[in-house]
Amino acid sequence: MRKDRSSREGKATQIEGPDLESVIARAQGHDAEALGEIYRLYVRRVFGLCRYMLESRESAEDATSEVFVKLQRAIESYDGSIPFPRWLLRVAGNQCIDALRRRKRGQQVIVEAAEEVAVIEAASLEPSPLGAVLSREERGQVREAIARLPENYRLPLVMRYYGELSYDEIAQQLGLQRNYVAALLFRAKQELRRKLAHRSK
Amino acid sequence: MECYSEQTISIFVDGELAGEEAQRLRDHLATCRRCRQLLDALRVENRVLSESLQELPEEAASPAGSPHVPWSFGWGDVAVVAAVLAPGSIVVGWIDKLSIPEALQWLNPFSLNGRTNLFFNLSYYFANGGTAMLGDYAAVIGMIFLLLLLGGSALLLARRWRPQQSGLRLLIVMLALSLPGFALERRHSEFVVTVAANETVDDTLLATGNIVRVEGVVNGDLLAFGQSVEVRGTVKGDLVSFAKRTVVSGTVEGNIYNFSNSLDLDGQLGHSIYGGMQSLRVNDRGRVGGGILVGAGDVSLEGEVTRSATVYAGNADVSGSIGRELTMAGDSLTLTNTARIGGNLSVRVRQLKNVHIAAGATITGARDIQVRVRQSRFARPRFYFYRAVWLAAAMLVGWLGLLLFPGFFQASTQAVGSGWRSLGLGVAVLAGVPVAIILIAITLVGLPLSLMLLAAYLAAIYLAKIWVGAFLGQMLLKSTTATKGDWLLALLVGLLVLTVVGFIPYLGGLVRLGVGCLGLGAFAWQLYRASRRAITI
Repeated sequence: MRKDRSSREGKATQIEGPDLESVIARAQGHDAEALGEIYRLYVRRVFGLCRYMLESRESAEDATSEVFVKLQRAIESYDGSIPFPRWLLRVAGNQCIDALRRRKRGQQVIVEAAEEVAVIEAASLEPSPLGAVLSREERGQVREAIARLPENYRLPLVMRYYGELSYDEIAQQLGLQRNYVAALLFRAKQELRRKLAHRSK
Repeated sequence: MECYSEQTISIFVDGELAGEEAQRLRDHLATCRRCRQLLDALRVENRVLSESLQELPEEAASPAGSPHVPWSFGWGDVAVVAAVLAPGSIVVGWIDKLSIPEALQWLNPFSLNGRTNLFFNLSYYFANGGTAMLGDYAAVIGMIFLLLLLGGSALLLARRWRPQQSGLRLLIVMLALSLPGFALERRHSEFVVTVAANETVDDTLLATGNIVRVEGVVNGDLLAFGQSVEVRGTVKGDLVSFAKRTVVSGTVEGNIYNFSNSLDLDGQLGHSIYGGMQSLRVNDRGRVGGGILVGAGDVSLEGEVTRSATVYAGNADVSGSIGRELTMAGDSLTLTNTARIGGNLSVRVRQLKNVHIAAGATITGARDIQVRVRQSRFARPRFYFYRAVWLAAAMLVGWLGLLLFPGFFQASTQAVGSGWRSLGLGVAVLAGVPVAIILIAITLVGLPLSLMLLAAYLAAIYLAKIWVGAFLGQMLLKSTTATKGDWLLALLVGLLVLTVVGFIPYLGGLVRLGVGCLGLGAFAWQLYRASRRAITI
């Protein structure tokens, strides 16, 4: 793995406001240079989302390429109502879900199961929320634990905390009920806590 | 008031709790210390998640907890394949030892006859695109390959090569334009191409059709592709024939270069016969002005050959005359009473009892009949030396490749693991590329291109074992890190295993074929991906 991939978002991503707006406006006018600029700015972020959502580096690379190929047209529909990075990650999330669905021959990526929706009452015996673990090593452990979550937990979790998508957006992309997404997210965190607690023992 | 569930607070922290409920929760928080603590803890947790996700997972830990070396065959499939192959190889060995009547020998795919037959049939179908012999299932398979290949490339072209790839379009246009500019006379028909008895073609004639029949005169060479090629008239130049069946009952003044299932010579040939064929027959009326140099399943010489004959054949029957020496290597040789050989007779066979020389046969020169006992190759030290050289060369190539294209070589190794995809793609490439090469070569402009393609094809076949070897080694060593040293060690182990397995009779051949297909498929897939990336970025 090349080093530059591992640190997502270099300084380049820092451009904001009018600069970014003008780049997007030019890209919407099919300016190849502006599209290249957007690619340069966001490719790592998009790749990261795909890498977490899909099962192999290969398919993540494929999905990333697809996102930027489609962006040439799709960017026309960006209306500025939400920040561009969020919008782009939504597109990327969609692409990944499509890829996963294709692999399952058109079936739902995550199928709703009744037992997941049951609300877990407070004061359970589950491990407590993750504390502020900030050392590099510990972050790595969290990452690895996320990568090892089953798909139905991993996808919503990554979409929410990496892609910063709203519950509604996640629900729409995965074709699930909103409250089911909420339940999955909560379950995912619990599972993560359990994995990490188990590891630290 | 009762406390809220952790899940509800979690939704609140995510900013996703609906307005009214959120307000109620806020009111509760103001009074409940326990819930406030939980809220803070959940906030911290969210931050931890976001921060941790800032970087990508280490490659060694692939998501979804899939094994380090993905292998979609699964051991179950391997077991099934092995279970089929093992009894299969026993049966094959048994068939090979049976004494099968000569007349049925062509049915046995493991005899020399059977193999040449199979080879010619297959190559014929591919060359002819299957139009001539739809009834034959093999032709259908050939067609399917071809269609898959064409359809697939058309699809990929349409999807991947956007209009700015004008170079490619130019190439296609040039290829299309080159066709009418082809300097030969070309005749093509779905059914019969005929040069009538009263007709003379002044140029070289390229004829493709189900039946190519020459009753008139061709002043140049005749290049014929067809199910059946019949020369009843005269060809003043050479005859180059690629057909299921070639019959020359007229005159060919030059040489015959033949690549047919069968070649029958009833007429006159000015010079020599070269080529490979399932059966070669020079009838008693046939006369060869030069010599014969062929590899064939069956050779029957009843007519006259002016110079020497060199045949590598399963069976050779000579009842005619050969002006100079006869050199034969193969399974069996029969010289009848009417046979005459003007020079030496040299024969290399496996068993002496397969050489029948009738008392009346005339041999002017010396007789040199040797029995070649096939010594086990494992008994010769040279064999081990060559294997070591082979292994060292493969390791060197692997090392160089890894040094020059590290990403590509490692990714190709990984791509082997996709199992059926690589295998299927590999079979298609193995069968399809020769077709593409022939098709490109037919348009003269494409000749350099087809030569390059051929070189790449051969190189890929060589490289196939390296990727498969490295993959196999990684699987066996369960190596998880991807350093160059590990990769090379895995390659060494994998190649050793493949080498040993390759020597198992019958099974070894199948394994080698499978390895070739897998590696080719992985290579093709990687190439496709690399081209995709180059275009998108």
